[in-house]
Amino acid sequence: MHEYAITESILEIVQAEAARAGGGSVDEITLVVGELTTFVDSSIEFYFTEMSRGTAAEGARLRFQKLEAKAHCSGCGADFRPHNAFFTCPQCRSAVFELRQGQELFIESIEVSEPEGQDTRGD
Amino acid sequence: MKIEVKKNIMATNASVAIKNRELLLEHGICMVNLMASPGAGKTSTIVKAIEGTRGLLNLAVIEGDIASEIDSLTIESMDIPAIQINTGGSCHLTAAMIASALDHLDLDALDLIIIENVGNLVCPAEFDLGETARMMIASVAEGHDKPYKYPLIFREVDAILINKIDLLPHCDFDLAQFRQVVQSLNPSASLIELSCKDGYGSDEMCDWLRETASRNRADLRS
Repeated sequence: MHEYAITESILEIVQAEAARAGGGSVDEITLVVGELTTFVDSSIEFYFTEMSRGTAAEGARLRFQKLEAKAHCSGCGADFRPHNAFFTCPQCRSAVFELRQGQELFIESIEVSEPEGQDTRGD
Repeated sequence: MKIEVKKNIMATNASVAIKNRELLLEHGICMVNLMASPGAGKTSTIVKAIEGTRGLLNLAVIEGDIASEIDSLTIESMDIPAIQINTGGSCHLTAAMIASALDHLDLDALDLIIIENVGNLVCPAEFDLGETARMMIASVAEGHDKPYKYPLIFREVDAILINKIDLLPHCDFDLAQFRQVVQSLNPSASLIELSCKDGYGSDEMCDWLRETASRNRADLRS
């Protein structure tokens, strides 16, 4: 349910970027989501469809790129990928580690159509 | 036309949270974000904290609920400043809501602010409010399997209260297993057994709050 607030932020950022690029419509949004966050893709899509109506981002495709989790064991120094929440170092079984990747949530890029009237330049 | 954005979606909340934390540290105040599922005993725990720290800490409470002022009225009846935030449907508090609540408190007169977050084990864990410490309650009546189901929140807190410990003889709660799982998820968290009903563990919880608050003041001096 907290995807509502997330989607609101996504839409704000996307609209600002599209306006800065000349005001064209947004065709695609690429989001990077760390695999240890609790954000649900389908839930973001659901809110996005509703909230983007009437904006430059209406109808845009959402692409989700998952970012693998990476941890560094504070005990033996091994690097490993935690597969679920209950991870311990596969080498020394220590539960003390530094999470280096997997909790991200950011907009990687957007694909914007050329604003109308762009090709009239030089007439 | 492709535009590289590379913008963190949580950045707005994160920047407000940082400002909140800076403001608290300037005043040497500890702010504890208290999270739990509905009915785990958040308000009862705050009542015990008020009783156990009266005369020792100057306390205020920020109450987050989807609706109603029931909890803030309980706190105000104990002569403690309480700010009610009604999220109007949202399942968690945000840093901006806390920033406006802090505007209404006399920060020079406070040592400790307890935030009662919206009853939920999922969303509050994802939103930094600018708190200086995080505490959660897991109550015996909820069962010992909660860390398996909501690992993120158990991993992110500094202290875990096991409330309704007086119900232990009547429930199938496996305390040893619970402790073991929590230990594997979050080895540094303090685990405190508590009964808001009979007061068991209340002193230990208040000691934790006092130590955490005094550590905050030490950070301020350094």
